[in-house]
Amino acid sequence: MNETLKLGLILLLICSISAVVLAGTNNITAAKIEEADRQANDAARKEVFPDASSFKPLDENELKKLISSNSEIIEIYEAYDDSDNLIGYTFKTATGGYGGDVQVITGISASESKITGMKVVSHSETPGLGANSTKEFFQERFIDKPVDKELVVVKTSPTKDNEIQALTSATITSNAVTKGVNIAREAYETQLAK
Amino acid sequence: MKLSTIFKNGVIKENPIFVQLIGMCATLAITTSAINGVAMGLSVTVVLIGSNLVISLLRNFIPDKIRIPIFVVIIATFVTIIDMLIKAFSPALYSALGLFIPLIVVNCIIFARAESFASKNGPIASIVDGLGMGLGYTIALVTLGIIRELLGAGTIFGHQIMSASYQPALIMIMPPGAFILLGALIGIFNKVRSKKASSSKTEA
Repeated sequence: MNETLKLGLILLLICSISAVVLAGTNNITAAKIEEADRQANDAARKEVFPDASSFKPLDENELKKLISSNSEIIEIYEAYDDSDNLIGYTFKTATGGYGGDVQVITGISASESKITGMKVVSHSETPGLGANSTKEFFQERFIDKPVDKELVVVKTSPTKDNEIQALTSATITSNAVTKGVNIAREAYETQLAK
Repeated sequence: MKLSTIFKNGVIKENPIFVQLIGMCATLAITTSAINGVAMGLSVTVVLIGSNLVISLLRNFIPDKIRIPIFVVIIATFVTIIDMLIKAFSPALYSALGLFIPLIVVNCIIFARAESFASKNGPIASIVDGLGMGLGYTIALVTLGIIRELLGAGTIFGHQIMSASYQPALIMIMPPGAFILLGALIGIFNKVRSKKASSSKTEA
């Protein structure tokens, strides 16, 4: 048999076995991965919106309208209390940080017109610097902030209620997170506030 | 070759980081903290043992001319399987390791051992080689990680060690600090090794 053909066949065989093994592993794991993702996301939503008992994805058409004008929005969920009243929204946004995209979930309370919480759920920022954006002390800086004014990052202690103190030596990360929260804020103000 | 010799080889005499100087890119990037070092070291060890074993079992079947693409396919398959399994069965572990797993595919150490050892030796020896090299790699990473975390953030494994007034040397968390520290450790490691070698020669 022609040597090139033989080499080709051996490569084909090995790659086929690899493909079968991977497909098999995928079969076993796909459902579990989806479930784990969903649970992590629900937990994150609850963290930014503690008063909510349940979350439902926003109606598809409304979501499409919002995403078409703002590509940095990934998901929007409606937050309901335990009597099934709509009390607010959670937004997941992706904005450019120092090492890559920073994904942020922001909770906005419709009844109180304020930000209920913020959580960085995915990032590639520098450990010890930008990575501190996931820490509680930074998350707390966003709680109870008003929705009607744009949030601004400052390097010293905030003097106005729409100012957010930046993370030390991590201005780019702080800006990325705040931008994500502002996008959520604006989407809420312009399209969803009734 | 005795199995214990193969094992010790990987940890000391041919330590991938301190002696062979391979697999450096990931090393410098991820050793910003001690726990990162542990996570990456263990992941690489698992993949290394697996790929060494499979390649060793197939060594008479893989034609020399196409061995490189075949090694890459085998290594990438292993890494992908581990990625999927960890993601499905331990989301907590995945959120700690997740970033590093794709990095393993391009880790030169795995490829180097496949080429220089697993393709020329039996399966048991290859497993032991994988274990030794993996352990040597992990020890190097953890050492780097502990020192960089301690000097650059004042903590070890997340626990505050330095007093609150300690001003962290941020350079240690950045690449220049990593290079400097790595150079120093390589020097110390090889000095200790050569001392031991000369003292055992004078004893003999």
